[in-house]
Amino acid sequence: MIRAARIGRWLGAGIATAAALLAIVRASAAPVPFHDADSARLRLSLSARPERIEVCRTVSAEELAQREEHMRQRVECDGRSATYTLRVEADGRRIDETVIRGAGLRHDRPIYLLRDFDLSAGAHRVRVSLTRRENTDDDAAAFAPAESSGADTGIFAGRAQREAIERARRAGAAIPPRLLLDTSLTFAPRRVTIVTFNQERRALELLNEERRP
Amino acid sequence: MRLLERSARRTLSVIDAAATRMYGSAWNPVYQSGTVAVAMLLALIGTGFYLLLFYRLGSPSASVARLAADPWFGAWIRSFHRYATDVFIIAAALHVLRMFAQARSWGPRTLAWVSGLLLFGMGLICAWTGFVMAWDTFGERLAREGGRLLDVLPIFSEPLSRIFAGDGPVPSAFFFVNLFVHIGLPLVMGAMLWVHVSRLARPTLLPPKRVTWTIVGALTAAAVVMPAALGAPANPFRLPPATPIDLVVAWWLPISERLTPGAAWGAALVLSFAVLLVPRWTRRPREGRWAPSVVDPRLCTGCNQCPQDCPWEAITMVKRDDDRPTLVALVDPTRCVSCGICAGSCAPMGVGPPDRTGRDQLAALRDDVLPALVMGRGSSMPVVAVCCAQAPASHTAALRERGAYVHLVSCVGNLHSSVIERFVRESAPGVLICGCPPRDCVSREGPKWLAERLYNDREAELQPRVDRRRVRIAILAPGDRPGSVAAYEAFARDLALLNLPVREPDADLDLVCDPVPLEKVPS
Repeated sequence: MIRAARIGRWLGAGIATAAALLAIVRASAAPVPFHDADSARLRLSLSARPERIEVCRTVSAEELAQREEHMRQRVECDGRSATYTLRVEADGRRIDETVIRGAGLRHDRPIYLLRDFDLSAGAHRVRVSLTRRENTDDDAAAFAPAESSGADTGIFAGRAQREAIERARRAGAAIPPRLLLDTSLTFAPRRVTIVTFNQERRALELLNEERRP
Repeated sequence: MRLLERSARRTLSVIDAAATRMYGSAWNPVYQSGTVAVAMLLALIGTGFYLLLFYRLGSPSASVARLAADPWFGAWIRSFHRYATDVFIIAAALHVLRMFAQARSWGPRTLAWVSGLLLFGMGLICAWTGFVMAWDTFGERLAREGGRLLDVLPIFSEPLSRIFAGDGPVPSAFFFVNLFVHIGLPLVMGAMLWVHVSRLARPTLLPPKRVTWTIVGALTAAAVVMPAALGAPANPFRLPPATPIDLVVAWWLPISERLTPGAAWGAALVLSFAVLLVPRWTRRPREGRWAPSVVDPRLCTGCNQCPQDCPWEAITMVKRDDDRPTLVALVDPTRCVSCGICAGSCAPMGVGPPDRTGRDQLAALRDDVLPALVMGRGSSMPVVAVCCAQAPASHTAALRERGAYVHLVSCVGNLHSSVIERFVRESAPGVLICGCPPRDCVSREGPKWLAERLYNDREAELQPRVDRRRVRIAILAPGDRPGSVAAYEAFARDLALLNLPVREPDADLDLVCDPVPLEKVPS
């Protein structure tokens, strides 16, 4: 009798343990619904430097001579980073319009943009624009002439040329005054289409599963 | 807060009772919740080392998929690692519930409470990073949510979420940092565990071997028979219809995703502060039941027993300020939890919480208990059941129904052996001392010291003149009322076979047990 009770208890404990394990196994991979069958997503993701709006001047040879050799930058610029208006439309309906600034407290860091827009699967006309808010009159396009002034010799020989190249590189890497993507897209169910900034082409471009980076 | 505490106590007793019915009190894993969590942490570290050998930062999901496909070791070690994580979280949560329900969260236990919560939080973060390592749809979902929450904090200049956007591959640096946190946190947890138990004299870190190996065996069987599912590889261009979520670890995820980052942080902070402040909200005035132990230096012989028995290292021996050549016990009230273990350990009855020293116990016996016990019973004294006040009321009621005289004490480790002797001297046929299951003692070591004092001559030992056949220890485990009744009935049957005389004639021994008035103690 006692033996039977003991066996019964062991059996009960075994069943309880198995049930507890089953519960843990189930709970460790419980399928929780995430996205609807007809959902699709437009993702805007880019990082790029905003344009610099600045006034530049060529430092005179006398001024340069008064500075330490390693601080003899030929062209000095003072200004700020441009701001942009982001406007996203789907089928002619505005779904986002925001002012975009560079990151950081002084907004002089690159612009980092990440927005998700949920759309229904199917064909949509998508229009994404990024437009500089500042007038071109503010633009210091008229850089001071990049010619060398003062001595360009010693261990810093060729510096003036390097400065000019660097300025050109920065200007080239910055977001242009206006970016526009206006296209018709067919969104497959449960797929993401990404709009990003192509640095080489300096234009917005589309990425999807078939056209990955 | 008291209402919440009572609700927690009710919930815990239901869980305890269910587990005891299934496994018996000696095997009950719920009583071992804290030590099971530590055992699982060790198992996770062990299996984690193996998994680390095969993990590739450059191709995280592919390397984990290879492990999951390995039918020999990889699949079941990975699954064991997953299931052990869940058991760790469940055991830690039960441990938190037990400490809260049993009012073991305040005063000297505050450090253990706060460090325990930090351990629990670190365990959750460690599990989070572990799931991200696999980089399946669940890992991606966790990573995205983590990025979304972190991006509102002024930490990163570039939003973390852009890593997962899909306009570029996820950098290996991300998986490296994730792996670093996943490996580094258990080291911090080891240090935190040391803090967690630093105030305990003899911390129990692991469950009994049979419980440990049963859990390890059960998890291994589950890992082999039902390997843990691995979701589809993360793909930023897809929106999965469902994600296999580990609800034990990430129960908060579906809730958090519905909230704004600010609201999610707000909820998390409110919840965290609420539980961290539990010691403040549950603290009691240090008086009455919660008054710390005191030492009567006139009675202290400097035997050094109470510091050895104190589970909280609250007692030290210091020099006396009189001319006696011995040391004297000194209680640190900031470490004393008023468990009363010292009262049971002191042969001359010179230490213990107010009103619970050996002298107080004997005085109460003489003035209140014995007159009520003897009155109207003639020569037929009942069996005395000395029960812990934490014992389930239904169990003590069942003993009363069977004719026992139930005498409640704050803990059986608090009970002075002279009280047992006095009951026997007063012709109680036997004394059944009913304690809690050893791993569920609120005083931590009550049942252990009681057994040592009764059967192994530990100070203050039960005197050899007391017939050991008339004294027995039983366990009143919630959920095992039949076991409690059976223990009592077996004891009563054995006593009946002894054919005891009605009353022992030797009255001189009363002197040994009777409390000596303080004024008569030589100073």
